[in-house]
Amino acid sequence: MQKMIFIDYDKCIGCKTCETVCSLSHQGRVNPSQARISVVRYERIGINVPMMCQKCQDPVCMAVCPMKAITFDPALGTQIDNSRCIGCKICILSCPIGGVSLDPVNKKTIMCDLCEGDPQCARLCPEKAIEYVEVSLLPYKKRRDGIERLEKFLREERK
Amino acid sequence: MNGYTDKILVVDLTYKNVRTISTQKYSDRFQGGRGIAVALAYDFIPGDVNPLKPENPLIFMTGPLTGTLAPSSGRIDVITKSPETGLLGGANAGGFFGPELKYAGYDGIVIVGEAASPVYIDIFNDDVIIKDAQNLWGKGVFNTVETLRKSDEDVQVACIGPAGERLVNLSGIAFSMRNYAARGGLGAVMGSKKLKAIAVRGTKGLDIAKADGLIGLVAGIQDRIKMMPSYPEYPEWHYKLFEILESDSKSFFGNYEDRVWEDRFEAYENAKRFVKQAEFRRETCFACPLRCWAYINVKGIGGSSIAACQGTLTSLANFSKVKDFGKLWKAYLLCQDLGLDVSGTSAVVAFAMDLYPRGMLDDLWKQEPKLIYGNGDALIDLIKKIALREGLGNILAHGVRKASLAIGKGAAERAVYSKGGLELWLMEIRPFKGTALSSAVTDSGSQNRATYGLCEFYYKSMRKQAEMVAKKLVGTEEAAIPTKYEHKPKLVAIYENLHILADSLGVCSIPFMPVGLELWGQVFAAVTGIETTPKALMLAAERIRTLERLFNIREGLTRKDDTIAERMFNEPLKDGAWKGEVLNREKFEQMKDAYYALRGWDAEGKPKQETLEKLGLA
Repeated sequence: MQKMIFIDYDKCIGCKTCETVCSLSHQGRVNPSQARISVVRYERIGINVPMMCQKCQDPVCMAVCPMKAITFDPALGTQIDNSRCIGCKICILSCPIGGVSLDPVNKKTIMCDLCEGDPQCARLCPEKAIEYVEVSLLPYKKRRDGIERLEKFLREERK
Repeated sequence: MNGYTDKILVVDLTYKNVRTISTQKYSDRFQGGRGIAVALAYDFIPGDVNPLKPENPLIFMTGPLTGTLAPSSGRIDVITKSPETGLLGGANAGGFFGPELKYAGYDGIVIVGEAASPVYIDIFNDDVIIKDAQNLWGKGVFNTVETLRKSDEDVQVACIGPAGERLVNLSGIAFSMRNYAARGGLGAVMGSKKLKAIAVRGTKGLDIAKADGLIGLVAGIQDRIKMMPSYPEYPEWHYKLFEILESDSKSFFGNYEDRVWEDRFEAYENAKRFVKQAEFRRETCFACPLRCWAYINVKGIGGSSIAACQGTLTSLANFSKVKDFGKLWKAYLLCQDLGLDVSGTSAVVAFAMDLYPRGMLDDLWKQEPKLIYGNGDALIDLIKKIALREGLGNILAHGVRKASLAIGKGAAERAVYSKGGLELWLMEIRPFKGTALSSAVTDSGSQNRATYGLCEFYYKSMRKQAEMVAKKLVGTEEAAIPTKYEHKPKLVAIYENLHILADSLGVCSIPFMPVGLELWGQVFAAVTGIETTPKALMLAAERIRTLERLFNIREGLTRKDDTIAERMFNEPLKDGAWKGEVLNREKFEQMKDAYYALRGWDAEGKPKQETLEKLGLA
């Protein structure tokens, strides 16, 4: 059963805990610019958007990689083999959602590996804005969130 | 070096050179942040300097936990000699600047000298360049940050607004578009150096001693923070705080003359409607679960982030008795953009609104709008005039005490302030004896650095909780009763220590206390690899506190300077839950005696030789 990271943008408070723990668990040191998830903060309009690899079903990055460094794991989706990566950045250029990033220290491509099935960002997100859910449950989850919003709206209206 | 970058940047603006010094020289004894900043101030300031002259350094310092995975670790401490009080001036700010500075490879920055024309410092990892800032000079904070960020939203900026450029004592240093090192005129010191901004971006990262150990501790600390009774309510504090202050009987209105304001409930309702109708998104600081910030946008007025604390909307409303939240929001946006301390500025406006009807400002304010309570236009007008130093604003820009002396005609008797002449924050002080003592003995006059969280604050609304904390800290529930003088010195000393530790380790003082020293000690060990104990941490706090004292003594501070405004001793409260309460001078002096003794200082408040030896400061 394939699982994915589900991000609820409304819940994100922009604390960057996800970036911090991502770099700490992968590199053993703190360096958010080496994180596989990145919270884009638009301070002037108060918007925080966590961005990361969405684990596409037909990954463009995999198709364009000249070194076949990107592979597809049935459970964890796209995975990158850093020893094969030559740092050509074509995957970054071609990713339609900005989910692939560049490690500024090693100058190689990095992408979410789902922490071998226990994503640390989801574990420590204080607002549960990041969750690790079954892909098949995604539409149900979205529907449930929609109903919650509608219910809240109706309740406010009746007040 | 784990947790630290082991580099403190020293930027000389006069000679335009940049060098670094080692953090290690200071970190063993002073931890980081506030502790190291005080030690640097003590080393760099020759004593008796004019705060606005090149000799006065401006020191930014992060702690060992800043920018790590430790919850609420976005803090940076700023220390200099304050132009408002002539004493140690310090403020601590959250946000994202401190972490970014560390990722660039620096624990702190010491700015010395003075540039010939406006400059900003551009830091990208090892590249530290002093650049021309003539195009930024005169710009507001929002615009300055936007300009310096250009295409990279991760660039963090520390800057001043027009108020800092004009050396206003109520000016702070803005960290990007929201957090402020607000109090004591730090912005004026930055302005005197013609330093408009520091922009930093770092991609080098930070070494951690035990990565897995740190990750393992974080969930537990997050849980503790979420167990705070106020945690679920934080996002609503933007309007609820009015009623919380009321339920603790802490509020006052205007220039400390009224405990009751007839229109207050209408104002509270307006606050709620204002927040509910605005575009509202919850926000927070680096790695912090608290979300005490929010982005609020009001059609036709504008949007900005705001902290749900005593120093923002509540301060503006209760001091000025303005109940139109559209006007208050505009006033807040102006303070944020012009670079003013909202707390101090609203206190000064209330002071002017108190004097005006008494005829004391007749020759200084002849125009409309009338400077009276409730007049939102007057509030807005005066804020602009303070920032730009026009007319009456030019006098008020010095801060409440100095302004009161300049105005004369008995204005000094109406002025209310903390130690050194710094404005008090929004809280009635006469019934709260611990708060009064803390405001008088604190390093900088800033209650934000010493008093926040004192268990007497919430005695009225959460008595059981307050008593439990008092019992745990000083051994008796009685210490939680606001009006009791007994046991307050010890309580105050412990809270000061906790503030010092939070500010020195690089963690916000709000979650610092409920999490407890035991856990923070474990976090410190995981980050730095250096084992510690609560006892060792408290000893470090003692050392830092006494060094702060030595700094102030060198600046001429004596026992009689450890006090607050006379009115708090002479004018009993005339209404409300604390009717008749006033500070008793004799008992107040006794509290000081006991406090000095606890600190190992003599009757004049000077650290004893044996204390200096015990703390390694001799």
